[in-house]
Amino acid sequence: MIGRLDTVDMMVNMGPQHPSTHGVFRMVLTVDGERIVAAEPVIGYLHRGVEKLCENLTYRQIVPLFDRMDYLADYNNELGLALALEKLMGIQPPRRAEFIRVILCELTRITSHMMFYGSFGSDAGVTTPFIYAFRQREEVQQVLESVSGVRMMPNYIRVGGLREDVPADFSERLSKLLPKLRQGIEECDDLLTRNEIMLARSAGLAAISGKEAIAYGLSGPNLRASGVAEDIRRTQPYSIYPELEFDVPLGQNGDIWDRYCIRLEEMRQSVKIVEQCLEKMPDGPTMAEMPKALRPPPGEVYVCAENPRGDFGVYLVSQGGDKPYRLKVRAPSFCNLMVLERLLKGCYVADCVLVLGSLDIVLGEVDR
Amino acid sequence: MNWVVELVLRVVAVLAFLVLTVLFLIWLERKVLGRIQMRMGPMRTAPYGVLQPVADALKLMTKEGLRPQGADTWVYHLGPVVAVLPALLVWVTIPFTGSLVVQDMRLGAFYIVAVSGVSVVGMVMAGWSSNNKYALLGAARSAAQMISYELPLVLALLGVVMLAQSLSLGDIVAQQSPWPYLLLQPLGFALFLVAGLAELARNPFDIYHADTEIVGGPFVEYSGIRWALFFMAEYVNLFAICALASLLFLGGWKGPLLPPILWFLVKTYAFVFFIIWLRAALPRLRIDQLMTLAWRYLVPLAFANILLNAFYLYFELPAWTLSLASLALLGVAVVPLYRHWSGRAVVKARLADRVGMSKAESQA
Amino acid sequence: MNGVFRALGTTFKTMLRHPVTVQYPDEQLPVSPRRRGFPRLLVDPEVGELRCSGCGICARHCLTQALKVTMKDNPNFAAGKSQRKKIVDKFELDVGQCTECAVCIEMCNSGGIEMTKEWCAPSTSRQGLRRDLAQQNGSAEAVH
Repeated sequence: MIGRLDTVDMMVNMGPQHPSTHGVFRMVLTVDGERIVAAEPVIGYLHRGVEKLCENLTYRQIVPLFDRMDYLADYNNELGLALALEKLMGIQPPRRAEFIRVILCELTRITSHMMFYGSFGSDAGVTTPFIYAFRQREEVQQVLESVSGVRMMPNYIRVGGLREDVPADFSERLSKLLPKLRQGIEECDDLLTRNEIMLARSAGLAAISGKEAIAYGLSGPNLRASGVAEDIRRTQPYSIYPELEFDVPLGQNGDIWDRYCIRLEEMRQSVKIVEQCLEKMPDGPTMAEMPKALRPPPGEVYVCAENPRGDFGVYLVSQGGDKPYRLKVRAPSFCNLMVLERLLKGCYVADCVLVLGSLDIVLGEVDR
Repeated sequence: MNWVVELVLRVVAVLAFLVLTVLFLIWLERKVLGRIQMRMGPMRTAPYGVLQPVADALKLMTKEGLRPQGADTWVYHLGPVVAVLPALLVWVTIPFTGSLVVQDMRLGAFYIVAVSGVSVVGMVMAGWSSNNKYALLGAARSAAQMISYELPLVLALLGVVMLAQSLSLGDIVAQQSPWPYLLLQPLGFALFLVAGLAELARNPFDIYHADTEIVGGPFVEYSGIRWALFFMAEYVNLFAICALASLLFLGGWKGPLLPPILWFLVKTYAFVFFIIWLRAALPRLRIDQLMTLAWRYLVPLAFANILLNAFYLYFELPAWTLSLASLALLGVAVVPLYRHWSGRAVVKARLADRVGMSKAESQA
Repeated sequence: MNGVFRALGTTFKTMLRHPVTVQYPDEQLPVSPRRRGFPRLLVDPEVGELRCSGCGICARHCLTQALKVTMKDNPNFAAGKSQRKKIVDKFELDVGQCTECAVCIEMCNSGGIEMTKEWCAPSTSRQGLRRDLAQQNGSAEAVH
């Protein structure tokens, strides 16, 4: 008598206000019991019109706006803009400035990945990794504050070099910090990586192959977790990265655990890079000879840099004025988000926060 | 009439103790979690935040008690009561020391198990009456979780009862004269702890009331004093499970030097501290993993535990055989569990294998 | 279950450490000398007047339009005491809008503006958040 039970798929809304969506991000999930059948991301809640605003601002005013896109990797964003303008104007920043830029960008990579670690643990249900991560971040933030004056939105890396030189105790402070940072990363590793419960929640889930990852436009640690050896710092090097020795960690399965492990390992490599830069850093000026009003020659340029989230691209079209004609940003989180539905199909509802967390998106970048 | 007065006094004393314990536990949890996370915990409400739970209680009592439209009135109001009463009723027969107990029933363990099962009904009532689909989902999950873990809990308890040949908690403690049952029953102890954690819905089993994915489980529509009742039920249950663990497996109030009541408190708080420590360190399991753990691992282990005890009692083997067999079974059980959870190939892959593409390779 | 035990071990170790947090605002962690706060106007010590000429280039470049600048004829110039023809009349800064990005400092041609270390400026009204920097005459000390 009991025939086929007709079930109806339920629509569940993980609204823009949610403790685990890493920003104002909305997902409309269609679930069949506990399994996700379809997931539709809805973005745009943090859209501020940065690209349009840039068309009305001079290049010196654009730098603070770029800070606010990927607010967790602010130095990296500024570097992207600086590289684009330098390429267009044909300026070579002094060596010391290049080294300091790389140091700051790698330190920001560490803070960004620490933030990922903290929120990943908190998505999985334990709050302690968050505090550990922020402890390590705090140390780095204090060094960054001593350089630029603020902990976020530095407005420091400019076309032609840096706004001003680093303070005198920078090298010493940083060399004292790095061993502590190493130890902190090991502690964080101890807490979550081999934890059986964490493995049960994340290993083997939401796996994506290298080919598919490339097809979906993934970049950064998400792509490397699937085994694809693509790191802009190696394949299209910029700044002084060709002179530095570091490993690029690659994953095997492309699942959540791989993405997590890659970022942890990248933190260790970043510490290595900072050490090398501290040793090799020459003395000298930190700003090339530059006019106060920036007027790049007419033309267009596209540069890409390796942000903590992936391939950060800046496309700049200039018509010779002091404001850009078009400034387009290829935000890595936006492109990484395309793979969300593919990853979520077939997962449990309880996994969707972990999947989203493992992609490590920042809504400031996604929406711009 | 003397015995009536005495009974009432004992009941009032136990209730007062429980209220104080709940307040103390709230403070202790926040402080211990804070210290594990290298921060201070509450410090503002009094020196070292001692009055923080009082502040919490006052806040909850003065909050507006909302009732959603369309909620089933009677069920909505009775839900917290039905959830909290069993938690308090269990304490009727838990002995603090040999003489400090409201009533040491001969059916003590049976009574505890029977009464604590009723709190599930309270949660389902809360979820159902809230007129909220997420609360209903949460309530269904919580019911599934609590019922599944009742089995290993009861069977572990049964193992101890078999050894002591009595259901009365006072007798069980008295029987642990030379050796606490922890040594005789390591498997039973592990089962009791894990199942107890899951009954309490504490990390790593707190999936239904700390939902990061949707909302806060069956209690989502409750506020103010009603929510405080659920909260209180959780802490009273926590203390009850810890007290039971210390009574059944550690020998309760027995111990040299210190007065018995102090031993009881020390042992119970050791478990409380351990549970808080687990909360700080472990992520939570998914609901299907939780159920798998209960039905595929804990229940068979619990039955195996009972069989072991039966063999021991029937053939009157020496005590060390039981300890050894229990320990061996625990070891044997953990290995496949570890394997199953940690994923197949992932465990073998060490991180060093994953680091590839050095500078030389990339330039080739 | 050694992963779980490792996690427990790590958390136990951190439990025995001294807490890293301080009780703000009773104790405060030191800030760097370069800490950026709200801007203030600088005084030219030789003449005893503000360096700011009120040209408004900072206000034009401010990303959040937090500055409103008006200029007036410098009475000191008429009296022959100073070389500046124009001087700032009113320099209104809306602290609620300021993002401390320091673009105004960069753009200034007369070196009349600098960042203080003040970042804490609460007020109970919108009007209280607006301050006239010209009136404060560069004497607002770093307060926090």
